[in-house]
Amino acid sequence: MARSGKRFNRVPLVRWFVIEFAAVAVMALLWATQGVLAGYSALVGGLIYLVPNTWFAYQVYKVEGARNMSRMVGNLFRAESIKLALTAVFFAAVFNLMEPIHVPALLFTFAVMVVMGAALRWFIRPTPQR
Amino acid sequence: MEMVIMAAAVIIGLGALGAGIGFGLLGGKLLESTARQPEMANQLQTKTFIMAGLLDAVPMIGVGIAMYLIFVVAG
Repeated sequence: MARSGKRFNRVPLVRWFVIEFAAVAVMALLWATQGVLAGYSALVGGLIYLVPNTWFAYQVYKVEGARNMSRMVGNLFRAESIKLALTAVFFAAVFNLMEPIHVPALLFTFAVMVVMGAALRWFIRPTPQR
Repeated sequence: MEMVIMAAAVIIGLGALGAGIGFGLLGGKLLESTARQPEMANQLQTKTFIMAGLLDAVPMIGVGIAMYLIFVVAG
């Protein structure tokens, strides 16, 4: 079965993305008080978290319902591996291609966003529809 | 330098091992509980998604630190 026709959950993907992007912008502005490079690095660190994670959320909620659960679990495993690989590739690209980089701003923003993302999904949950 | 690369490999390897075990358990329990109570599938999927976010926090941070070790400290 390709895709469930009916949407069972109202998944707040857009709301999660907007709140996370706002948090990244706030973090970047806070780091920008230390200098433009720190602010820019914080923004990049936040985006390294945001892009793979948004894709992960989209993949996990692509199929829903009890009939499609084995397919959803397959998507979950695939999406998680690709998310970790994407994160590693983005970090490697940043450390290789961006020559002046503020490493504490980059890693701190990334770590804060990882923890905040998990907390956000806990507090703003999808509303199930029957 | 070799020790730094080894450290990065251990960080990524153990992180991947932990995430793999955790996701295996999570996915297995999701399938099992959905087979028992199919009407709960949507709520179980939501809970699985939340737990997945908590589960991969440490491996993600580990990947970031390991890349820093490989490309900045050793490179």
